[in-house]
Amino acid sequence: MIAKRLHFETTHATEFVDVTAQLRDEVRRAGLRLGRVHLQSLHTTVGLAVNENEPLLLQDFQHLLEKLAPSGAGYEHDDFARRIEVALDEPVNGHAHCRQLLLTGFATLLVEDGELVLGRWQSVFAVELDGPRERELAIQLDGEFTAPDLVELELARQLQADPDPVALPMRRLVEAGGKRLRPRLVLLTSRIGPRQEPLRAAALAAAVELLHNATLIHDDYVDESTHRRGRPTVVAAEGAERAIAVGDYYFAKATRLIAEIGNRKVTSTVAAAIEAICASQIDDVALRGTFPGDHDSYLRVVRGKTAALFSAACASGALLSDAKPEVVDALSRYGDLLGVAFQMADDMVDFSPNSGKPVGLDIRQRVLSLPLIYAAEDREVGPEVRRLLAGSLGDAEVGRVAELVGASDALRRVGDEARGLVEAALHELEAIELDGLRPTLIGLARSAVDRVS
Amino acid sequence: MSVQVIDRELERLEGLWADGLSDAYRSYLGAVETFDAEAQPKLALAAALIEVGLRLQGLGGPAAPPAALLMGDLCLARASRLLADAASQRVQVAFATAIGDMASSAASGTLGRPVRELLLNAFEPSR
Repeated sequence: MIAKRLHFETTHATEFVDVTAQLRDEVRRAGLRLGRVHLQSLHTTVGLAVNENEPLLLQDFQHLLEKLAPSGAGYEHDDFARRIEVALDEPVNGHAHCRQLLLTGFATLLVEDGELVLGRWQSVFAVELDGPRERELAIQLDGEFTAPDLVELELARQLQADPDPVALPMRRLVEAGGKRLRPRLVLLTSRIGPRQEPLRAAALAAAVELLHNATLIHDDYVDESTHRRGRPTVVAAEGAERAIAVGDYYFAKATRLIAEIGNRKVTSTVAAAIEAICASQIDDVALRGTFPGDHDSYLRVVRGKTAALFSAACASGALLSDAKPEVVDALSRYGDLLGVAFQMADDMVDFSPNSGKPVGLDIRQRVLSLPLIYAAEDREVGPEVRRLLAGSLGDAEVGRVAELVGASDALRRVGDEARGLVEAALHELEAIELDGLRPTLIGLARSAVDRVS
Repeated sequence: MSVQVIDRELERLEGLWADGLSDAYRSYLGAVETFDAEAQPKLALAAALIEVGLRLQGLGGPAAPPAALLMGDLCLARASRLLADAASQRVQVAFATAIGDMASSAASGTLGRPVRELLLNAFEPSR
């Protein structure tokens, strides 16, 4: 049995937060093969629901809740004069409690063959009824587990050995989740060549994940981000000085772990990727002066900032297994294309109301984003988008820009482009021998762009 | 040879050369005389980039503004790639350990050993 908490932040009074992807991640990370995930809301104004993630249907649900328990309908609970021990910040929320009664606070989901058992249209929602707030769900995973994931064990082992001032913030970040795509790519590609050493591959995969997280810690300082993976960022929780030190420590630790593996080609491949990430991060910040930028600048930055480590993860795993040079090259190109597609999908998540993240964060932080670039070029909405982005961006402006992006063709274009890149990535795999891993690499590429969080 | 190497490896970091990087580089050259002639400028430059990079980031002191942090990150990344190209596994591990020690001291608010002393030590053969 494994017990965990899922953290998320809501941005609206009523909001359907799709937690399906997070639950799938937890099942995968825990190695649960056959069993159940028990889910419990820890709040009296957050309910749970299993239904279809279709935006208009979610609006219907909201209207239904409003109809059945209208806000401001004179609830006894809101008569503070008659209640005892009322907190100073007690909200007027009788309607939210009554709405929660119409939903459920508990759910049990089945797991078979390592996957949540959900129908084609079913998604799992945490339903915010009195937001915006920070929220958490308790989950327990129960059943038959496979042998523990080697990468998770290696990550835990490495973090156990480090001094608390650096280990605790990194542990919070690592334990908060993440898709672990880069280490999965290392592990998969390390099974392609003739030399297969699972422990060395797990060490490399864990080092790549630590490196990725180290870059996120510095990014969050630069972007002034307050939350990541539903929890306060290291800079928000510990301050800038500590965040810089933690990022440096794990940059150094990851490079040491990779050097200790003792494969010069692997070391050089990953080192070149780190350099590309850092150079692109400088370009990214510089381009904020000409926000939202253009397609060429976007691709240049994303190739370095995101795709370089995807590509290095694929190539380094294959190199570790002594795969043939043409196989390493093809996997490197697969990783590059997949990384760009992944970033495009990530940009789209910023405009999804069900992602568990505040909508429009990229707009607010003036982060390079392809939907914004396309919306700014749009004949209909472009002039207003450009005018808004040129001024200061408060809540109203961010909301309006997000609305304009949604009303334009931008998200469809980005989605099409991301899927096109995935097909191009898969094309790279056609001519090489993959020792039975082709379906997994195809599935991983497709799932990286078809997501809502 | 060394001038060509340095020119090539200073891309995007040219401004730092006159701002302490050249002095740091020269001070490390003496420590790398026992290494292959071809590797010497890369190793000395890697050490100098780490020293300057950590200073730019403000590690152990007040945090640097974002632009300086990113420049510092690029210095460390460039140094890491130079070491991957030119250093033995022992030297690569020693440098990474030295950076880790400095970052750990900074995170715990304790005074660590001076950067240059730690990096010069990383070139020494292990005993």
